[in-house]
Amino acid sequence: MGMIEEVLTIELPVGESFRIQRCRYTPIKEKPTKRISVVSGIHGDELEGQYVCFLLGQWLREHREAIKGTIDIYPAINSLGIDSITRSVPFYNVDLNRTFPGSKNDFLPAQIADGVVNAMQGSDFAIDIHSSNIFLREIPQVRIAKSQEDVLVPLANLLNIDFVWVHDAVTVLESTFAHAMNTIGTKTLVVEMGVGMRLGMAYGHQLLDGLLNLMAHEGILDIEPLKVRFPIQSHVGEVAYLNAACPGLFVPVIEHCQVIEKGSVVGHIVSALSGEVLDEVIAPIAGILFTIRAYPIVYEGSLLGRIFGEKQ
Amino acid sequence: MKRFDIVTLESPNRAPLRIEGFLFGDETTTGPSVAIVGAMSGDHINQLYVASGLVEYLRTKEEEGLIIGKILVIPAINAYALNMGEKNWPLDKTDLNMMFPGYAQGETTQRIASRLFEELKGYDYGIILEGRRDQSMCLPYVKLMQSGYEDLECTKDLGLGFIHYRPHDPIETAMLQYNWQLWETKAFSIVFGKNGAIDQGTSNEVHTAIIRFLSKRKMLDIPVFEGRKSNLVDPNRITLVKASRAGILISKVQCGTHIQKGKVLGKIIDALSGERLEKLISPCEGIVTCQYAHPLIFQNSIVFRIASVDLCCQIDTEK
Repeated sequence: MGMIEEVLTIELPVGESFRIQRCRYTPIKEKPTKRISVVSGIHGDELEGQYVCFLLGQWLREHREAIKGTIDIYPAINSLGIDSITRSVPFYNVDLNRTFPGSKNDFLPAQIADGVVNAMQGSDFAIDIHSSNIFLREIPQVRIAKSQEDVLVPLANLLNIDFVWVHDAVTVLESTFAHAMNTIGTKTLVVEMGVGMRLGMAYGHQLLDGLLNLMAHEGILDIEPLKVRFPIQSHVGEVAYLNAACPGLFVPVIEHCQVIEKGSVVGHIVSALSGEVLDEVIAPIAGILFTIRAYPIVYEGSLLGRIFGEKQ
Repeated sequence: MKRFDIVTLESPNRAPLRIEGFLFGDETTTGPSVAIVGAMSGDHINQLYVASGLVEYLRTKEEEGLIIGKILVIPAINAYALNMGEKNWPLDKTDLNMMFPGYAQGETTQRIASRLFEELKGYDYGIILEGRRDQSMCLPYVKLMQSGYEDLECTKDLGLGFIHYRPHDPIETAMLQYNWQLWETKAFSIVFGKNGAIDQGTSNEVHTAIIRFLSKRKMLDIPVFEGRKSNLVDPNRITLVKASRAGILISKVQCGTHIQKGKVLGKIIDALSGERLEKLISPCEGIVTCQYAHPLIFQNSIVFRIASVDLCCQIDTEK
């Protein structure tokens, strides 16, 4: 069984402490090879990573002899948020993943960010598991800033995910956990899969296989690498965005993760008041519908889906 | 005065969002122009109050023929959040002041930001009324980011006591001030008050400072008293007094108080037993510029910020 440790505690005003816990697994006898941190719950409404942490912990408890490195599991970074269905840091209402690398001399969210970075500093790898949010359902994917492409894409290809999305650098993303960790030399992958506030069991098992495979390749686990799927690479095609043209209730007509033709109907935006169909949402390109809206209320501009297809 | 809709956005079930502007002065004027942006968050009540107070003030001055520039005031950007006690955009919780310059084909708040920004482009000056992002209250100060396009001199015409002049953080590149500066408007923020409340004293001070600015920058033809000589400070060199324990905070001083080294600033008591856990002592002489404003305090929170002359006024203004 792993060693449960508190890596950050901060007193709360009334008889309680905020805490971040990790469960650390190390080799039974020998010196650890490399160190990996598996992280979830930076956003309190994203729970898919909790299930992956459980599955990984369960596997490690049953295979202690295979452990050759240090494996740290952090299921709940924003523990206040997770236990209260709150995406941001409660009380401050601040997105924790926009406060990295944080500071000891700033407000509580920044202190949490600073504590997280300090706890994980020295890890060779970090896997930051997100569930999109409550609005969108995603296939398992890793998103990588273009500047990190050479280092991180080969690692992402080991993770048994469906899609590797290399995107242009966005300055705002310099305040994320992944950027902070990559900056200090920890190779950090951001996984997005499923939907907020829910568990997708199949995705959890899929990513577990990917984590085991990655750790086998890196000598952290003494097991044979697993046979994993090779993800679609974003550079071979393009992403088309479907944004709502008007407000209303979005009713999809096709399932997530379907291959669709250009011009096919993805769904409708309807009026609950008048009974009218306000807009028909049409696929602008052919490809795979890798993102679909899960929360039906939409305003003009709300993201309804993303399609990955061939470059036009 | 021309009252008009800058942005309207239909909602699935609510009445449409309207971002209203109040324009003063002749639109054909060749005089200087300024746009003043009020509450972008639903808890920026102080900012809403100051902006709406300016609308009322400028309306009377226009009737007296004293407007000589072009002045746009937008009191509330995020009325949807203000009307339901939310801080951010009520559906997806995004911060409107993290969406600039906006994207016309993007998500809802990117579209709102884009339409708003189109209206704001081209003004000579841009004033953003901001609250703090933490649980603090503060003396009014100018927040000026060093984008490479900022104009420090104009901010001194406000006559406020402090100008926080610092490099921008990466996250601030999505904020209005930074983008407005890039589009060649001399933009700056005035940060003041306590979120979710109205502080009459600081609101009056900001109101007066903006009128002084409008007068000195030739947009309002009235005589004004001189303000303070602004002190340029590096916010990273302000002395922090932190809470080593959590509990109930009892403060003994107010923002603006000049304190001596060793002065008792407050105490923290155990929220359950009532026992005194910590006495908060000033480590230096200076002025309390900011203090934690919620009665319950977390461990390690910053309780007081103290500006002292010998520490935080060493700032390099050369670019």
